[in-house]
Amino acid sequence: MAPSEGAPGLPRAEALPPTGHHPRPDAWGKVLGQTRYVGDLSLPGMLHAALVTSNRASARVRALELSAARSLPEVVAVLTAADVPGANSVGVIFPDQPLLAVDRVRMVGERLALVAARSREAAAAAVGAVRVELDPLPSVHDPVAALAPGAPLVHEGGNLIRTFQVVRGDVARHFRRATVVFEAEYRIGGQEHAYLEPQGCLAVPEGRQRVTVYASCQCPFYVQQAVARVLGLSLAAVRVIQTPTGGGFGGKEDYPSEPAACAALLAWHTGLPVRLVYSRETDMQLSSKRHAMVVRHRWGADGAGKLCFAEVETFMDAGAYVGLSTVVAERANVSAIGPYHVPAVRVRTHVVYTNNLFGGAFRGFGAPQVTVAGEATMDALARRLGLDPVEFRRRNVLDDRRRTTCTGTRLERPVLARQCLERAVELAATTPPVAAGRGEKVGTGVGLVLYGCNLHHGGQRLDRSSAVVILQPDGSVVVRVGLTEMGQGLLVAVQTVAAQALGVPPEAVEVCLPDTSTVADSGPTVASRGALAAGRAVLDAVRRLRRRLDPVAAELLHCPPRQVELLGGHARVRGEPERAVPIAQVAAEMAARRIEAIATGWYRSRPRRFDAASGQGGAYDFYAVACHLAQVVVDAELGLVRVARVVAVHDVGRVLHRPALEGQIHGGIVQGMGWATSERLAVREGRLENPSFTDYVIPTASDAPVVEIEAIEGAAGRGPWGSKGIGEPSLIPTPAAVRNAVCDALGIELFELPLVPPVIVAALGQRHPFAWLREQPADEGVGVR
Amino acid sequence: MAEPVRVRLRLNGELREFSVPPGRRLLDLLREDAGLTGTKEGCGAGECGACTVLLNGRPVTSCLVLAASCDGCEVTTVEGLLAATGEPHPVQRALVEAGGVQCGFCTPGLAVTGAAIIARGVGKAPERSRLISGNLCRCTGYLTVLEALERAGGAADGAE
Repeated sequence: MAPSEGAPGLPRAEALPPTGHHPRPDAWGKVLGQTRYVGDLSLPGMLHAALVTSNRASARVRALELSAARSLPEVVAVLTAADVPGANSVGVIFPDQPLLAVDRVRMVGERLALVAARSREAAAAAVGAVRVELDPLPSVHDPVAALAPGAPLVHEGGNLIRTFQVVRGDVARHFRRATVVFEAEYRIGGQEHAYLEPQGCLAVPEGRQRVTVYASCQCPFYVQQAVARVLGLSLAAVRVIQTPTGGGFGGKEDYPSEPAACAALLAWHTGLPVRLVYSRETDMQLSSKRHAMVVRHRWGADGAGKLCFAEVETFMDAGAYVGLSTVVAERANVSAIGPYHVPAVRVRTHVVYTNNLFGGAFRGFGAPQVTVAGEATMDALARRLGLDPVEFRRRNVLDDRRRTTCTGTRLERPVLARQCLERAVELAATTPPVAAGRGEKVGTGVGLVLYGCNLHHGGQRLDRSSAVVILQPDGSVVVRVGLTEMGQGLLVAVQTVAAQALGVPPEAVEVCLPDTSTVADSGPTVASRGALAAGRAVLDAVRRLRRRLDPVAAELLHCPPRQVELLGGHARVRGEPERAVPIAQVAAEMAARRIEAIATGWYRSRPRRFDAASGQGGAYDFYAVACHLAQVVVDAELGLVRVARVVAVHDVGRVLHRPALEGQIHGGIVQGMGWATSERLAVREGRLENPSFTDYVIPTASDAPVVEIEAIEGAAGRGPWGSKGIGEPSLIPTPAAVRNAVCDALGIELFELPLVPPVIVAALGQRHPFAWLREQPADEGVGVR
Repeated sequence: MAEPVRVRLRLNGELREFSVPPGRRLLDLLREDAGLTGTKEGCGAGECGACTVLLNGRPVTSCLVLAASCDGCEVTTVEGLLAATGEPHPVQRALVEAGGVQCGFCTPGLAVTGAAIIARGVGKAPERSRLISGNLCRCTGYLTVLEALERAGGAADGAE
């Protein structure tokens, strides 16, 4: 398919730069063990922090006895809410969450006191010496039960935080047309991010006027805001430097603000550097999770196999504090229908307080849960209509002709949802089917996603990004951006864009991790927007730099400045490639003439309108589609699922860097597969009972499926060279495809996730062969590695 | 307090001597006493493999090994995988070139286990997957990691 004209960053009709293939710039430091993560940093006099937390989900604090802890050797500070100089609040959107609890705790893991000591051992001893007396209060642990009359209130004012809606068409009228109606309730579990590097930060004070925080995080500007608020300092007085970050997946979006505020408060009081690095158990117990949801469906289709209406009611378990739940709900709300044409739609998404662990950002941001439900219902309707699931989707998927989404947005052409579906089916047919062993059953399932790229309308004020480009006198380039590398490949994407825009080899470009003192607030690194937003800001900076660079090059080349092009390490005369000077020579000439060799760049998305009451309007700036097809092998006796193969077809606009794109898709598929098959959060009375990699089972190398990827270019997005985001669409369709494949294999319908062995065995009406190992209800079973 | 214990190691080829509390983990000796922070702590329970080092040539999770039990042993960390010439180990080069490095926190452990797999001359892909499955990675989905092991195995064979 021909690339669209006028892709961002390119003059009309200019050829697209080639896709990058070079190794990522951060790879060597990491593989040699030289990259310094925050836990590898220490400073003279540095203290170690630890947290005193609640072990009850709902209680009144009767007593907090600190004197024994304070008198222990090597303990320097023990702080409570009374020691907070600014606002005792860390909520990112809504100020309902205290940094330190005052008289009431609403969840397990809620902070009661902070400790700083000369060693980790002394800090742990001090935590053990704090006497906490809690008077239990009634608690509620299910989002549906929390809305029932008489349910215990998590906060005064009720457990319903907010309801989002999509209202489109006349459901009652289209209901009457339907020949098949399917109703179901899906119970979708949460998920732990399980980034390999636990949460961590290091706060370095300078008097009580200023603090520098080194943090493993996705959003240094969120950390800056939280620390400034808690300490009562200006934003300028709080400098946050992102340290190399060992995985995020949303888990380091809002949460790192909390440990950072703790470490900064201890540093502010003690006048010493304070490092806080979580153990794995603490990390899993305290940090945010993918939201558990209850999704109720009533969808109908007519005799021709066309969808008539869809009603969705979702109950999102926010946990005890809002965090990012309302924002996650915005995406869940408008993602509930998928890439299908439905004349009448009614979606309600309730965000509900409970006394559970709090839900937060996790790759997909509410879309994976509703996509599992939506794609399950698509299969259920197909079965009841006597249609093949692929054929049923063919009849309903959005395309160039029918391209209006459930939010009333007319998608830009070409709409590639149908192509993604057809290509996935074709690719799957090119290899022999997966072989089943004795007692095993094989199945195939598909999942599709319509992904709104970038931030939802509700967050569009954050959709901005800052960049600085510095041309060194030798022609090498330093680039600073406000968005973060956490493993996903932002550095290599930005490096590729900057190198192509300046016509230099990628090795000539160094991209720095963000430092809030060097770039403007760029919003969060989320919503698959990193390469898009940072890349666009870099292109803007390069455009401004060229206003000064091109005239110098033009003088050296004896041509008008508008004839200058930058390519292959040279400034050349357009159309006359033999007339060229090395960019290094142009840079040296700029330095000799003392011409400003630094430029800033800015990006913001186009403003759009959206009516929150009806859920109609410009929910997102632009869209991407994808289809995953999964082939699974199920051991029907043990209930074990093995995902043998996943075919992933993505509408990517343009591939900026091939290995980074494929790395995102591989990782998204396996993370989605883990959630669908083995990653079960065993939460009882609000307490996580499996906070370890022994009991919370994430995929290993032995579980990795064969993955085939096809990236379709040409439906231009608004990233550099027409690219779209890939971080989240790489995960969203997989759990749905895996769930549908398992049902196909077994010939049954399953209504919960993850599909751990006891769920499958119980659904088959069997007793699990290993049930004697742990006598308990089927839904309390443990995963099997 | 218990008496400190003397621990002599051949650490990345160099003779080193440490005096540590009896309960000190090998991981802490490496990271804090020897300053070798390339070895990471991901779980502290022997589950994730980020702290993998070679103890007398065998991969171990150093968070589960008492430093005091290593007196007289040879220990190789990720920093010690480099050849005497300063050349990276074939598995390190392969991880970079195959795109097997993303966030990088699991990478030192993968490189160390990978080096042991290559040294053992494991030729079959399923066996390599099984042997590397003690090293968790949340970013790559393992596909490029397994490709890197295959490439490095080839490179090591070619060098013989």
